[in-house]
Amino acid sequence: MHPLVRWFHQLGSPPYFDRFAARWTPVAYIAGILVMAYGVWAALFQVPADYQQGDSFRILYIHVPAAWMSLFVFGLMAFYSAIALVWRIKLCEILAMACAPIGAAFTLITLATGSIWGKPMWGTWWDWDPRLTTELILLFLYLGVIGLYNAIEDRRSAARAAGLLAIVGVALLPVIRYSVVWWNSLHQGQTISLFGKSHMDASMLPPLFAMIVATKLWFIGSLLARARADNLRREAGKDWVLRLARGTEASR
Amino acid sequence: MSYQNYVIAAYGVFFAVLLWDFVAPRIDLARQLRAARLRAARTQTRSANTEELSRAE
Amino acid sequence: MMASAARALIARDARLLWRRRGDALQPALFALLVVVLFALALGGEARALERVAAPVLWLASLLAGLLALDTLFRGDAEDGSLEQWMLAPVPLSWLVLVRTFMHWATTALPLLIATPVLGELLHLPRAQLPVLVGSLALGTPLLSLLGAVVAALTVGMRRSGILVALLALPLYVPVLVFGAGSVAVAAQGLDATAPLLLLGAGLVLALVLAPLAAAAAIRIALT
Repeated sequence: MHPLVRWFHQLGSPPYFDRFAARWTPVAYIAGILVMAYGVWAALFQVPADYQQGDSFRILYIHVPAAWMSLFVFGLMAFYSAIALVWRIKLCEILAMACAPIGAAFTLITLATGSIWGKPMWGTWWDWDPRLTTELILLFLYLGVIGLYNAIEDRRSAARAAGLLAIVGVALLPVIRYSVVWWNSLHQGQTISLFGKSHMDASMLPPLFAMIVATKLWFIGSLLARARADNLRREAGKDWVLRLARGTEASR
Repeated sequence: MSYQNYVIAAYGVFFAVLLWDFVAPRIDLARQLRAARLRAARTQTRSANTEELSRAE
Repeated sequence: MMASAARALIARDARLLWRRRGDALQPALFALLVVVLFALALGGEARALERVAAPVLWLASLLAGLLALDTLFRGDAEDGSLEQWMLAPVPLSWLVLVRTFMHWATTALPLLIATPVLGELLHLPRAQLPVLVGSLALGTPLLSLLGAVVAALTVGMRRSGILVALLALPLYVPVLVFGAGSVAVAAQGLDATAPLLLLGAGLVLALVLAPLAAAAAIRIALT
């Protein structure tokens, strides 16, 4: 059997996944933090202030990666859920449900940083422009998936039900986005662009790339950590969990 | 206009949420391992108490 | 086979409804109360009310439908009929579709009929009434279908009231936008065909896809 295929099958085994996640979580976190350190430093101290927006422009370097992550994680969650529903793979159920809180966190960051950036720009903490409104509804969709997953007793049915909701959500997300854009054009004359007239100069891009990479690495670390915890919860009665728990106690 | 406070607030939110995202699974993991240990202790005492099934005639 | 199953289900639902005739008025009464609350909160002045009359009526219908979702599958889930549905020789999605249609006919249709009266309470401009009723006629079945998916996901849960609302309302947003938006477009004197056609297209899609999703959800919930 091809080694990659065998590795996929091995990951499906809960104890193997636990060891895999325990090993790679710190790696992903540390890599993410290192890249993030460069990105934040460059965003705050290296990049020159924008001609029009001044220093508030620096918020872009956390707002945009967070926004992209909020959408990317939702799509990934629906993808894992689809695999879990069709092929009944436990690991994909776990990974899908682990995506939800991380995606919600990035959505929260997007909304908060967008609002904070908007205050000096538009003079108001909130504006019903299409991007922020769609992002808010996205947050509700995430919270819905998390809520549904927590509301059902049996972990497997819970994951499948919440996964179905995620798939419905990802199918409707473009519709929601389009509807809000249309509504916005109906009720408000101008659309306020977050970036204004300033184009992204080439010298401004490296920290953005760094933050995009950093958030992805952080996401991998967080996903593995949460998946590991959920895996342990599901396999609670098994021998290997007891051995692991006793092992960690002995090593204290 | 000084944007400094806004930038600090935005980055503050970013790091605070990431901190929560880091801590929450660790708490969950610790809780799961602790529950497993307690369960192991319970099953041990149970098996110790019901050592031999004997017919008392 | 499918037609006779549909007839049987419709007959059963109609008989059950007839035994509790009073319940059929409840969504309409709720919508009336919502209208009253909005009118009171807005100060009751005709000029302020007529500007928001159509959106408020849309919301009243939407919220009444949301609360009515609880009765969509609950009765059958509790007495075991839902499991019989799963075992029936006809597709589960077909039964879901028929049930959703009956539910819409008994909860939303009275609302639709009451809309002109409620409109008068809010000083709705007469010219907006046709577009309002048209958008509700297209939108409320769409809301019922989307709501059926959410109700199926939470079927059998004890206290799922607020959770159903939290799950359904984000999915309702496009319907509300195009529904209330069509009236806003008409109020501006423009042609409201585009949003109404979009609602119609959404309805056609939902007629096919929503029962399938709801059936899958029921299977997940009842395994």
